[in-house]
Amino acid sequence: MSSETLDLARDIISNYSGRTLKIMEVCGTHTHQIFKYGIRKLLSSDISLISGPGCPVCVTPTGFIDEAVMLALEKNATIATFGDLVRVPGSEQSLALARSKGAKINIVYSPLDAVEYAKNNPDEEVVFLAVGFETTTPSAALAVKNAKEKGISNFSILGANKTMMNAYRMLKDSADAFLYPGHVCAITGLKEYDELKDEGIYGVVTGFTPKEILGALAMTVKKLEKGEAFEENCYKRVVTYEGSPSALKLIEETFDSCDSEWRGLGIIKDSGLCLKKKYSDFDARKKFNLPEITGHPNPHCRCGEVLQGKCTPKDCKVFGKGCTPEHPIGACMVSGEGACSAFYKYGGDF
Amino acid sequence: MEEKVITLAHGAGGRQTSDVINNIFKKNFANENLTADDAAVLPMDAGKIAFTTDGFIVSPALFPGGNIGKLSICGTVNDLSCMGAKPLYLSCAFVIEEGFPIETLELIAESMAKTAKEAGVRIVAGDTKVAGKGQVDGVFITTTGIGKIQEGVNTAGDLAKPGDAVIVTGDVGRHGCTILVARDSYGIDADVTSDCAPLWDAVKTMIDTTKDIHVIRDATRGGVGTVLYEIAEQSSVGIRLEKENIPVDDKVKGVCGMLGLEPLYLACEGRLVVFAPKEHAPAIVEALRKGKYTQNAAIIGEVTKENVGKVIMKTEIGSETILPAPGGELLPRIC
Amino acid sequence: MCVGLPGKVEKIKDGMAIIDAYGAKRQVSAELLEDLMPGDYVMVHAGVAIAKITSDDDEELDELFKDEK
Repeated sequence: MSSETLDLARDIISNYSGRTLKIMEVCGTHTHQIFKYGIRKLLSSDISLISGPGCPVCVTPTGFIDEAVMLALEKNATIATFGDLVRVPGSEQSLALARSKGAKINIVYSPLDAVEYAKNNPDEEVVFLAVGFETTTPSAALAVKNAKEKGISNFSILGANKTMMNAYRMLKDSADAFLYPGHVCAITGLKEYDELKDEGIYGVVTGFTPKEILGALAMTVKKLEKGEAFEENCYKRVVTYEGSPSALKLIEETFDSCDSEWRGLGIIKDSGLCLKKKYSDFDARKKFNLPEITGHPNPHCRCGEVLQGKCTPKDCKVFGKGCTPEHPIGACMVSGEGACSAFYKYGGDF
Repeated sequence: MEEKVITLAHGAGGRQTSDVINNIFKKNFANENLTADDAAVLPMDAGKIAFTTDGFIVSPALFPGGNIGKLSICGTVNDLSCMGAKPLYLSCAFVIEEGFPIETLELIAESMAKTAKEAGVRIVAGDTKVAGKGQVDGVFITTTGIGKIQEGVNTAGDLAKPGDAVIVTGDVGRHGCTILVARDSYGIDADVTSDCAPLWDAVKTMIDTTKDIHVIRDATRGGVGTVLYEIAEQSSVGIRLEKENIPVDDKVKGVCGMLGLEPLYLACEGRLVVFAPKEHAPAIVEALRKGKYTQNAAIIGEVTKENVGKVIMKTEIGSETILPAPGGELLPRIC
Repeated sequence: MCVGLPGKVEKIKDGMAIIDAYGAKRQVSAELLEDLMPGDYVMVHAGVAIAKITSDDDEELDELFKDEK
C-alpha cells in the first residue's frame, strides 16, 4: 500500500461526518489488531466500531469447558488445546484450575501435533478441543482423517467448530456493514458472500496488517456513503472467489452441519459442525459417553450482549472489577482477541 | 561405560560430597578467597556496597547461548551492575536432583567460572545439596553477590524524569524465545541464541560516558515491557515508545508471529533498560555500540509527564496505542 | 479468530511443507494446496497452509482506491 493510499484511507475514516455508521469487525484477530495499532483512535466520532463474535474462545459456551474439565478430571484424558481456552471459566472451574489438580493439559500449536502426541503416547487418551471457524476446521478435519488412516485410536476431538454464515444473518441488524474475516474467506471463497449481499448484508473482506485494516475500513465507509449494496474484497492477495476447494471438500467429507450454541447468542441454526458417522470413534462425546451438560455462566457477565454490539464492555457491571484478564468471569475477558480483554488492556483514555 | 550421575550419597556430607566439591566446584572456582572454612573472609573498603540474591531454575538447563550456570552468574552480576556497583564476590548454592549427569554439572561449573572471570567477580562461598528424584527439576542454583557502588553514581527505579530518553542495550526477547524453541513444545525451529551475558562492562561504559543516568534495570523474566511498566509506576511518569525503533531479531519476530506473542514480554538475560537525560542519550548509545554485548543499543522512547503509569506506543501507521500491561501466563494465541 | 502467519515454502515432502517465517521454521500440512512449490508464499494457520499468497504486499489496495484519488 502506498503512503498516498494510506493517507487517503486515514483521511476517509478520520474525516467522515454524517449519520453514525456501525461497522462490525467480526474476527477476533481484527479486534486484536485494531486495538494493538490504535485504529479506533483514528476514527471519526460518527463511526462506531463493534467487536463481533469471531473469537472462537469467546463464543464457546460454558458447557463446553465443563465437558473438557470432566474429560480431564473424571475420564483421565489428556487434553490438547489451543492456549487461550485454558483460562476460560467453566461453570465451576477452568482447565487451568483442573491442571493444578493434576489434570494433564497440553497446549498445542496444531491439532496435527495432538495426533502425533497420541501416536507417541499410546497409553494416554488424547482429546483435542476443536474450536474455531472455517479457517481452523480444516486442521481438525486433517487431524481426524490422519488419525483414522494411521489407526491411532487413542485420539478424539471434543467438537465445537462453527460456521459464520448464519451468524452474519443473525447479526444483520447489529451493524450497517461487516469487516469480513479474511482467513475464513480464504477457505470459503466469496460465493456465499454474494448471497449475503442479495439478502442486504454487506461487508468488505479484510486482511490483517494495520494498513489492510485501515484500507478496508475506508472502503466500507465509502461504500456505505454511496448507499448501494456491496461486497468488496480488500484482501485479494490471499482470498479468491473460489476459496479453497480442497479445504471445503475436506470439511464436507468430515463433518455434518448442525445447530450450535454460541455463548451469549444462544443456539444458531446450522452454524455448527459435528463429525460424520464414519468418524464417530473420534468423537470424544461418544467415546467417553459424556452426559448432556448445561453450563451455568456467571449471571453478571454480559459477554453475549457485548458480542452483539448491544453494549460495550464498559457497560458491564463486573468489567474491570470482578472481571479482569487475571481473573476473568466471562470468555470475552480471557482471550487476547476478546472485546473485553482488548478494552481492558488497551482501553482507557490516554 | 555407565554415565556418572549425582546420587544422594553426593549430598550426604561424606567423601563423595568432598569429591564433588573438590573435583567440580573448587577446581573451577579456585581463588584466594575461596577456602575450606565456614565462611569467606573478605576485605572491606569505605563506601557503599550493593548486595543481592537470585534463584535460578530453567528448563532445559542447557540452551543455545548458555546454560543455567552462566545464567546464575549473569543474573546476579547484572543486578549489582544496575545499581552502579562493580560486582566483586559471589556465593552459589546448588540443589541437584538425584540422577543428574556429573558431566553436565561439570559443564555448568566451567561455564560459571568462565563467566565469573569475564565479569571480574570471585566465587567465594558455596553449598551443595542433593534432592531426591523428582523433588527438583535437574539443578537449581542460587547466587548471592556483593558489589562496590562507584562514586557519583545514583540509579534507582524511582528516578526517571520527564525528558529522559529510554534506551535498550540490544534486541529484545531473545532469551525467552530461545527457551521456547529449545523446549520444542510447538515444533518450531529457529536458530536463535540466548542474549545471556554479564553486563558490568556495559554499565561501566555508560557511567564513564556520564554519571547523569537515572535508572538502569536489567530486563529478565517479564522482558523489557515489564521493566517499562515498573519504572513508569515507581517514578510516576509516562513512557512513550517508538515501535519502529525497538530492536527485535528477525527470527524472534518469526517465532512470535507464529505464536501470537509480544517480544517486549519475552525474557531477556543480557539486556539493560536505561533512563537518562535526552541530551546524554546519543553519546551513551554510541559508546554502548562499541561494546561486546551491546552493539544493537537503541533509543526506543522517552519519558513523559502525561499518561502516568502507562506505556504508550507509536505504531508504524502513525497511530498511538497502549502497550498492554504485563500479567498472567504467556499463552500462545492461535485462534 | 484466525491468526495467520505468512511464510515461504522451503521444502515439500509427503504432503508436509517446511515453511520459513523470518527464519523461524516449522513443518506444516501442505495437503490443502495443490501444486505448491518451494519459494511459494503461503498463509499458515494452526499448522496448516491454508492459502497461497499471490503478492507479498498489500499493493492491491492502491488499485482499489484508484478511483478515490
